Amino acid sequence: MSKQRVMFSPVTRLSGLLSVDVMLENGRVTEANASGTMFRGYEWIMRDRHVTDAVYLTQRICGICSLSHGAVASYLLDELYDNELEDNAQYLRNIMFAADFLQNHIKHFYLFSLPDFIKMPERPPFHGQNPADTRLNPEDNQRLAGHYFEAVKAAQESHQILALFGGKAPHQHSFVHGGVTVAPTADKIEQALALIGNISEFVKSRMVPDTELITRVYSDYFRIGITPWQFLSFGLFRFGAKNEMFLWRSGVLADGQLYPPQLALISEDITSSWFDKTGAEEIKPDPFKPGAYTWVKSVRYAGRYFQVGPLARMIINGFYKGGTATMDRIYARTLETLLLTELVQEWLKDLKPSHPPVNQKSTPVKKEVTAVTDAMRGALLHTALIEDEKVVKYNIITPTVWNFSPKDGHGGRGPLENALVGTEIPGQDMLFTILGRTIRSFDPCISCATHLLDCKGSVKAKVVY
Amino acid sequence: MQKEEFSQICRELSSGSNHALSGAILPVVEEHLAFHNKKKLPVIWLETNDSGDNNIAFMNTTYPYLGRVFTEMIDLLYSNTFMAAQGRGALSILEQVSETYKGKFTLIVEGAIPKKDNGLYNAIARTETRFITALEAVTRLGEMAEYVVAIGTCASFGGPTAARPNLTGSAGVRDVLDREVINVSGCPVNPDWFVGTLAHLLMYGRPDLDKLGRPTLFYGFTVHRHCQRRSYFDNKDFAKKLGDIECMFSLGCMGPRTSADCPYRQWINHVSWPVKANTPCIGCTNEDFPDGSSPFFTPMPKKSTGKESGKNTSSQGGAKL
Repeated sequence: MSKQRVMFSPVTRLSGLLSVDVMLENGRVTEANASGTMFRGYEWIMRDRHVTDAVYLTQRICGICSLSHGAVASYLLDELYDNELEDNAQYLRNIMFAADFLQNHIKHFYLFSLPDFIKMPERPPFHGQNPADTRLNPEDNQRLAGHYFEAVKAAQESHQILALFGGKAPHQHSFVHGGVTVAPTADKIEQALALIGNISEFVKSRMVPDTELITRVYSDYFRIGITPWQFLSFGLFRFGAKNEMFLWRSGVLADGQLYPPQLALISEDITSSWFDKTGAEEIKPDPFKPGAYTWVKSVRYAGRYFQVGPLARMIINGFYKGGTATMDRIYARTLETLLLTELVQEWLKDLKPSHPPVNQKSTPVKKEVTAVTDAMRGALLHTALIEDEKVVKYNIITPTVWNFSPKDGHGGRGPLENALVGTEIPGQDMLFTILGRTIRSFDPCISCATHLLDCKGSVKAKVVY
Repeated sequence: MQKEEFSQICRELSSGSNHALSGAILPVVEEHLAFHNKKKLPVIWLETNDSGDNNIAFMNTTYPYLGRVFTEMIDLLYSNTFMAAQGRGALSILEQVSETYKGKFTLIVEGAIPKKDNGLYNAIARTETRFITALEAVTRLGEMAEYVVAIGTCASFGGPTAARPNLTGSAGVRDVLDREVINVSGCPVNPDWFVGTLAHLLMYGRPDLDKLGRPTLFYGFTVHRHCQRRSYFDNKDFAKKLGDIECMFSLGCMGPRTSADCPYRQWINHVSWPVKANTPCIGCTNEDFPDGSSPFFTPMPKKSTGKESGKNTSSQGGAKL
């Protein structure tokens, strides 16, 4: 077989718009270019605004992980204004954050990933599915298809917990700098406990066994879509009056060693991205740039690429002992979901019914702050430079920029592109099926990759973590 | 059920688990379709420049839950988010169904349309040789559709995507199509507003619209009119900080000039809404959101005007205070 170029577009069942351009040679993928095809420019949108707008406005970057942006912006403002957090505020924040994780992970597995492995009913929106390589027996297949809409309800109940304390979802209102504006009253706690009970039941009786069934029947995917052991997490779930404690640790895992992340080692590259550096200080979008193929930039740590997301968190924290393949990413996400249901139940019991735990100070004590956390799909960073409470510059590095990095200036691929190269494609009809499984295992979200960077490419400010 | 009765249910001021709108819709739709020998609403859903929050919000619909919307109300023929087909298979479905259902399908657009540089800031798909931009896809499908529904504030008016400085020249769907667009605005949309609009289209056709093209069923009154804290406003008792129980006009609340029924309908199974969460309404259904609401925590008279966004904003849609 000779060389062949195939455009996989659109990659459906994800957030945002993604195309993947692949080169095939003798039934193997020899090159892959992941192309994010939407750009909005949030860092420009944030400029000249009051810095406290960041909590609400940056949530609009992404509808499925909106609270992550609200959270990291709140941590940033906490440091900027030198706020003191109450214990109740931290519990409530973490409950809301975890609830948003739950809806994301449940939707990812059932709505986005599962139709890669089972045969869906032949009606809209599932019509036209390519049934190649659906391996479950009819009874198992029907049972798992039936869980699709149960999953929608479980995800909705997760958002209901978030809305109980957060006012609405997506784009919640009450997780702001200084704490949480909603009082944890006994009735809300009881209602949330009932909801998390349902979700936990769903995760234990459906999601975990369903995932394990898929891992057994498609065990070859523990050998497909393998990435090197290069993982990064900024840590998750803060405690302490100054956000100083993490429940899940941060770390950079490389060459078999785990290091604390040093943000000064992060750099971004626009070689393959539709951006142009027009002046000494500024880059601009340029959709006509020759050789570029995506709106996503390349982000590197110490010059190397790193994979972020549930698998990275679970490995760095010692919760997962498996490998780094497509099925590991899927399995790790489900196991993380289970851990999160247990945490939410604990935290709800630790809440003390009281007043709204929010205390905002009104005068910034700093001019520049970088804050980090992990979002559902991996490491997330916000930096703000301000003057008189107005944003001069706002930088955002999202998880998608890590995982969906295009080629950098040295021609080095990002994690997804690396995972795809080398994949065996036994037949043409299997191409999209096989690639789709690996692509979705990264939980792509292209909405969040639509922004600009600090042209100097590195983050030098003081870090909150 | 007669149209008037349906409209009455939509506008009904109730909340909580006995909330009547969605619970009342489905049995009626089923009956209505059978009686009039009608079929489900054929829908093509395009995602353009937005955060995807509106399809996430749509998945939160309750009574009917999403499964029943899919099985009993609409045929979702194309959707980047939900469809099982992928790659070329998905694109050929789009080509095929837009021809088969020409003049009969409802086009739903989620997100703003970048107009600068021929719309290259958003491609809904690529072929080996070219980009299929949102601008091209919406223009072409918009001419073929029976109804065009813009879901969310980006699709309706440009929204956060078109916020200043609007590098991509993004605008709402109404600015790229020479036809009527039904704007179901919100950032995100409340699923009831959207599913209710679909039900109306299915049973009675086009709903009555306000000056901004929004169904009056849901946008007929301001948030302020039915706000639980209205008495504080009338008594001039204003909150001093977030978390206080008084009127939040002093903290930037946009309720007095924002049309939506949030105080009653509320969010996610009707459990809460921003003011109940002790935070100001930020006016997310408005034509000038977010620029006209920014800074969010500054009282209305001192906010920026939103004019610098370059968006073509007119006065709010004749809603009653």
